[in-house]
Amino acid sequence: MNLYEFEAKQLFEKYNLKIPTGVNVRRGDDFEKAYQNLGVLNVVLKAQVLSGKRGKNSAIRFCSSPGEVKQACKELFAMEIKNQYVAAVRIEEKLDIDEEHYLSITYDTCARQPVLVYSHEGGIDIENVKEEKIKKQLLDIRISTPPNPPLERGGEVVPYVKELWDCFLGEDCRLVEINPLVKTSNGEWIAADAKIALDEDAFYRHKDRSPSTSSGFAPRSEMGRPPTEREIAVKKIDEGEKYYQGTAGKYIEMDGEIAVLFSGGGASIANMDALMQAGLKPANYTEYSGNPPRKKVYELAKIVLSKPGLKGLWIAGGVANFTDVAATFGGIVDALDELKPNYPIVIRRAGPNEEEGIRLMQDCAKRNNLKIKIFGKETPMSDTAKVLAGMVG
Amino acid sequence: MSILINKNTKVLVQGITGKEGQKATKAMLDYHTKVIGGVRPGKGGEKVEGCPVFNTVAEAKENFSDVDTSAVYVPPFAVKDAVMEAIEVGIKTINIMAERVPIKDTAYFLAAAKEKDIRVIGPSSLGYISPGEGRIGVVGGPIVEEIFQPGGVGIISRSGGMTNEVAWQVRRAGLGQSTVVHVGGDLLMGTTYADLLRLFEADEQTKGVVIFGEHGGSYEFEIVDLIKNKEFTKPLSIYIGGKFAGVLPEGINIGHAGAIVERGKGAAEKEKALSEVGVKIADSYEGLAELIKPHV
Repeated sequence: MNLYEFEAKQLFEKYNLKIPTGVNVRRGDDFEKAYQNLGVLNVVLKAQVLSGKRGKNSAIRFCSSPGEVKQACKELFAMEIKNQYVAAVRIEEKLDIDEEHYLSITYDTCARQPVLVYSHEGGIDIENVKEEKIKKQLLDIRISTPPNPPLERGGEVVPYVKELWDCFLGEDCRLVEINPLVKTSNGEWIAADAKIALDEDAFYRHKDRSPSTSSGFAPRSEMGRPPTEREIAVKKIDEGEKYYQGTAGKYIEMDGEIAVLFSGGGASIANMDALMQAGLKPANYTEYSGNPPRKKVYELAKIVLSKPGLKGLWIAGGVANFTDVAATFGGIVDALDELKPNYPIVIRRAGPNEEEGIRLMQDCAKRNNLKIKIFGKETPMSDTAKVLAGMVG
Repeated sequence: MSILINKNTKVLVQGITGKEGQKATKAMLDYHTKVIGGVRPGKGGEKVEGCPVFNTVAEAKENFSDVDTSAVYVPPFAVKDAVMEAIEVGIKTINIMAERVPIKDTAYFLAAAKEKDIRVIGPSSLGYISPGEGRIGVVGGPIVEEIFQPGGVGIISRSGGMTNEVAWQVRRAGLGQSTVVHVGGDLLMGTTYADLLRLFEADEQTKGVVIFGEHGGSYEFEIVDLIKNKEFTKPLSIYIGGKFAGVLPEGINIGHAGAIVERGKGAAEKEKALSEVGVKIADSYEGLAELIKPHV
């Protein structure tokens, strides 16, 4: 899960990384008062978004009076930065910057171990820094003693390596990044920006961070906007019985008109590609995998079908290894019986209990007069996207 | 011949008394794979599908010194300890089926395994199969005979469901498979495409390989170097899912944990790099079998 800058900075403070003095404001707060309470004259205002280039999109403003702060906050909250919702605005002291460096720890997937990355050229994307200006050091995750800090050009030890490593290990991070790591004109080192990605699979070790607890970070959509009602509802079904957690957890609401219910992570992305190639636009991205119980699939299907303005439904999955096709289709049938959609439906699926699953669908189509076409493993998945495109017209 | 598994492979199931462990044990026995027993602390002495249960991996090894592969079906929080146990005892191949293993734990046991030259496949792997030889895990499920038959095509997939689906497309094209491996969809993979391509290169039965890949991560780029260095010279076709993901914000993951939207690591960039070294690129996964057919 990606954190907002202000959330990442909370964690930085916990690990004794120095951050600029600042305060977070949200919609409806008294912006002028927040600024006055901060007691700093020259401030920088930063829109809090999950990704995107803030500098290039005028999402960073400099202010020196309550009036300016109020106006800038209003403007920032009204913005969308590359489709990213502005969740908060962080008001911080404006630093007297002498140098900007870069420091991060993440996983090197080729080496399959953590890597410390440092460059004296910070403040820009690390991808745009020349290779010879980047120092990399592979780390052994089994050793909690801090790595040797690199030296900066002046021979000074780069600070916060220990703190960053402690944070990386202690919080189960996928990425911790300070960019820029600022050296001020009076020689002080400050983490001016902060980026953290947490490993969601480790939330059971950090219950106080998980968005599913009230004390945790606020729930968010990966799309960089507040989660929609349907997205929240799907998360809820997935929190149920422990054994089945994660089997029906993915629902991302999108702009199109074709509802999708996919089985399996790989099939789902291949099918999204096929759907777009067939000229259709997805209303959502949804997959269930593993062996979810009938009730869970029913609840998931109901939410997927509840979106207004749908023009078609595509239910597709590969040849399952162990997912019970009859049980999962039973859940979809329950939802179709209830909602009786009148738009075209195309189904492609195979695997254990496929005959019974398909029979359940055929019976359901008959009793509800559904416009439905059903395919088994003899027809490739992508072909059935074209069939749906033909039916939708 | 085949890679990773043959008729003599002896398998231990860690977490054998759990629902998934039991199911997998049955699936392996049904396919005539030798499951010598399983492990579940506190349940030593019991039996699952006729296989003895031991309290520890060490105890299992004392009784069956020739066990060479462990299939790990314990819950995510117990994976690190279970795998470390297998590594310490020196089991040469460890296949991890458990999903949602914290990355920190994976990095930990992968570092330990590397030191002892132990192969880890997974986490989040469904297993692997060499048709007619044996299978680890439930690949193919109950319809394994409909999907798999011995042949010359090696298959590697990032997705469990697509492992079966791609194998089916190969079968539909009138071909058979040598070994089919689900490497798992995690950010950190114990065994990568490149690792397996080296094994397939040395395997006489394998005439060509097909891969189901995904956007995110750098593993597909390793194939480029492998081919440039002539470490892999057989025909290869690949499909990389997630072209649509280009419209999504960076940092989001979709499909699998490792399928993160990252600049420079999208499906299109990967296809371009691979096609430049002669890999045949499939527009849809169904195209994989047809692309490889003339070469095997």
